[in-house]
Amino acid sequence: MSGLSLHGVTKSFGAVDVIKGVDLVVEKGEFCVFVGPSGCGKSTLLRMIAGLEDITTGEIVIGGRDVTWADPSERGIAMVFQSYALYPHMTVRENIGFGLSLAKMPKDQITVKVAAAAELLQLTPLLDRKPKALSGGQRQRVAIGRTIVRDPEVFLLDEPLSNLDASLRAQMRMELTELHARIGATMVYVTHDQVEAMTMADKIVVLNAGRIEQVGRPMDLYREPATPFVAGFIGSPRMNLYANIKGVDTYGIRPEHLTLSLDAGEWGGKVRIVERLGADAFAHIDVNDLGTMVARIDGEADIQAGQQVWATPIPERVHLFQNGVRI
Amino acid sequence: MNRDIAKSRQRRRIAAGVLTMTAFLAVFVTPFIFILFQAVKDRRAANRLEFSWPESWHFWENLVAVIEARNYIVLLAFFNSTIITVASVTLLVIFAAMVGYVLSRRRTRFNGIVMALVLAGLMIPPAVVPTIWVLQGLGLFKTIHGFVLIQVAYGLSFSILLFRAFIATIPRELDEAAIIDGAKPLQVFFKVVLPLLKPVVVTNIVVQSVTIFNDFVNALYYMPGRENVTVQLTLFNFQSQFSSQYNLLFMNILLITIPPLLVFIFFNRQIVAGMTAGAIKG
Amino acid sequence: MQQKRKRRSPYPTWFFLPAAIIYGTLFLVPNIASLWFSLTRWDLFTAEFIGLANFRQFFSEPFLVKSILNTIIYAVVTSGLKTVLGLLLAVLLVSPIIWRGALRTIVFFPVMVSTIGVGIAFTALMHPTRGAINVALENAFGIIGPGWLTDPSLALLSVAFVDIWKGVGLATVIYMAGVVSIPQDYYEASRIDGATKVQQFWRITLPLVWPATITVVTLSLISGLRYFELIWAMTGGGPGFASDVVASMIYKQYQAGFYGLATAGNVVLFILIALIVLPMTWWFNRREVEA
Repeated sequence: MSGLSLHGVTKSFGAVDVIKGVDLVVEKGEFCVFVGPSGCGKSTLLRMIAGLEDITTGEIVIGGRDVTWADPSERGIAMVFQSYALYPHMTVRENIGFGLSLAKMPKDQITVKVAAAAELLQLTPLLDRKPKALSGGQRQRVAIGRTIVRDPEVFLLDEPLSNLDASLRAQMRMELTELHARIGATMVYVTHDQVEAMTMADKIVVLNAGRIEQVGRPMDLYREPATPFVAGFIGSPRMNLYANIKGVDTYGIRPEHLTLSLDAGEWGGKVRIVERLGADAFAHIDVNDLGTMVARIDGEADIQAGQQVWATPIPERVHLFQNGVRI
Repeated sequence: MNRDIAKSRQRRRIAAGVLTMTAFLAVFVTPFIFILFQAVKDRRAANRLEFSWPESWHFWENLVAVIEARNYIVLLAFFNSTIITVASVTLLVIFAAMVGYVLSRRRTRFNGIVMALVLAGLMIPPAVVPTIWVLQGLGLFKTIHGFVLIQVAYGLSFSILLFRAFIATIPRELDEAAIIDGAKPLQVFFKVVLPLLKPVVVTNIVVQSVTIFNDFVNALYYMPGRENVTVQLTLFNFQSQFSSQYNLLFMNILLITIPPLLVFIFFNRQIVAGMTAGAIKG
Repeated sequence: MQQKRKRRSPYPTWFFLPAAIIYGTLFLVPNIASLWFSLTRWDLFTAEFIGLANFRQFFSEPFLVKSILNTIIYAVVTSGLKTVLGLLLAVLLVSPIIWRGALRTIVFFPVMVSTIGVGIAFTALMHPTRGAINVALENAFGIIGPGWLTDPSLALLSVAFVDIWKGVGLATVIYMAGVVSIPQDYYEASRIDGATKVQQFWRITLPLVWPATITVVTLSLISGLRYFELIWAMTGGGPGFASDVVASMIYKQYQAGFYGLATAGNVVLFILIALIVLPMTWWFNRREVEA
């Protein structure tokens, strides 16, 4: 049984389609990431699943139930907001238990559930603090705690890490992945950061301008992107993409799949700049008629700016696209 | 089903709006309609104090009668009130802005005391008789000059708080750039800061103008006597004169309501912004 | 050795001067002087020291004591109702109902109008036999309306009603700014938790508009304690002394030439305000919430 499925979900504002016919199945226990550039509709889609935004046409099914018109509180979902939405006038304990106290659950039951969630997230010593006395990572855990006590079918997370600084983000990524492994819940996670998507997801949904470009496992999207958009979005640094060469609309080759030589190769050009990151380096080459080509080289390799080099692609790693799809 | 939900939500919005509008009209608007009706009725009809549609409309007659009353005192009153309002507000805005500016920019030990004094002005009621004593001592009792200074004194607290809060949002770097360019303190204030304060200056002018124009108690204490009547005093005194001419009395009310009404129509947004900003920051 | 160069600050202290002179002479000096003059029998020219006799009079003569009680009642009633109604109206006027803009305008307009004008208009409406209110009550419900301003037990409250009518718009506007500044996220999160509109009001809106509440209560309480205009315009403190407050009492003493007593009234008013507002402000600040 699937945790969540969307059938032909559309959202329009008058004549403008913001979400254009989305079909998607998220299996029970899957960690599914919606990823895409700003304005692609990923947050809107998440909020439609939550019931905070209306659907124009289509169906949403959660845990086998049609929840298309149900209130947010009756869909079996729980949501972590980008800002965490922690009530500043309540303690951690009260924040986590807020939903339960609204539902008039008996106090001793609430205490038990809150304690369990706090234990799971290492929040127990912080239960009597107010949000302003917590660090960013702690606040995020409280927001998660609030969702755990609801025992939802599906967890929804709206860019929960974007308010944290870089080092904290890396740590929280791992904590979230471990949490998911431990409680085995169905999670839908929205981000614009493809690194988060690649490292955390069981299944990635790439969205662009309200439409799904591709759904698949991270490595599947990496190895066989279905459209030029996905090819250019997934993978860091970005795939080299060129229009109208070698008889196809779009030709792509990743920097890590190019080999450089000082003598001969497929394309020749002058190295404009070499970015050295330590173990790896990336040479930006100006190739005649093509433009810039980025190639990954070993960090210790002796290639300098200004040098004339030749780049050759690994044949099996070339991506060809015609009419917007992979061939 | 989507359309049903959207429609029921729309129906609720309309219903709530209609109910509220009906209640508001009944509570807030009917008294003004009453004033209007009374102002245009003839003497006998108005004296009945009924809330009824006027049988005959005597707008111009009543207007002329009110203006001519007691030797055109209403005109004198409007003249006085206007002068007082304009003079007070001008001085108030400049002086309060200067204080708010230095208070906001400069951190001295004085700041605490000054703030306490400013807040005291909001809380402590003026000591009226001693004030008359001071005014008499200065030869300013029952004069327009004296009254203008009184209005400035009483309006400073609110205005200073408003300016201080707003100036805090203007980056200090602008002042510093001007100083590097060689500007002297007065130039920095008048040429750099004051122009940027336009929104809050407008708000302050509007709010203080209405307050000073509508002020009654201070005029009662500090400007008794015919020569320097204000519109509020005149209206109050008309109560005894027009005790059996309610139509004229209400025509006077109507006249007095017009300036604030005009201000309200043109400056609605500024007023609201000013009230909330000053209040919450205070 | 260091060279000290005196730099002229771009924020000169003399900027305080014009305001300070006016404020000091016409507000501070009289208030400080009032402390002295309240202990005298005074005719504006000569002052004869009589110790606390004025204050003793204030707290022994029944009509003077009553004015203090009336002042407190008036302040509490107007402040309380303005606060509660202001918040409820604010919540109503920020929700998506139609004609919202016009409604906001209507509720705020009375704030801008002449107080005397409002007082006269409502005095006419509240006339015991011919006033529109009682006429409507009798025609619509067959009730004989009371003498709103002529019944000693009702006069003060009737004036309070008009004060609230005139002033609730200001409280509403202040509250609206406060409600609008609450981030939508809180309400959305509570929707997922299944909160009803009432629960959202009590547990999110009310706690988070606390700063606005402090402002509204403090401002309206101070203004209520000092209030003079409507009372003087509508009842003149009457019938008898039934609706006198300290401010109207001060004027009556002034009119009668008892300047020392009137000034003592000012001091009493000042102490009254300080006694009520200062502890309240201190208590408010302790409970401050950061959003």
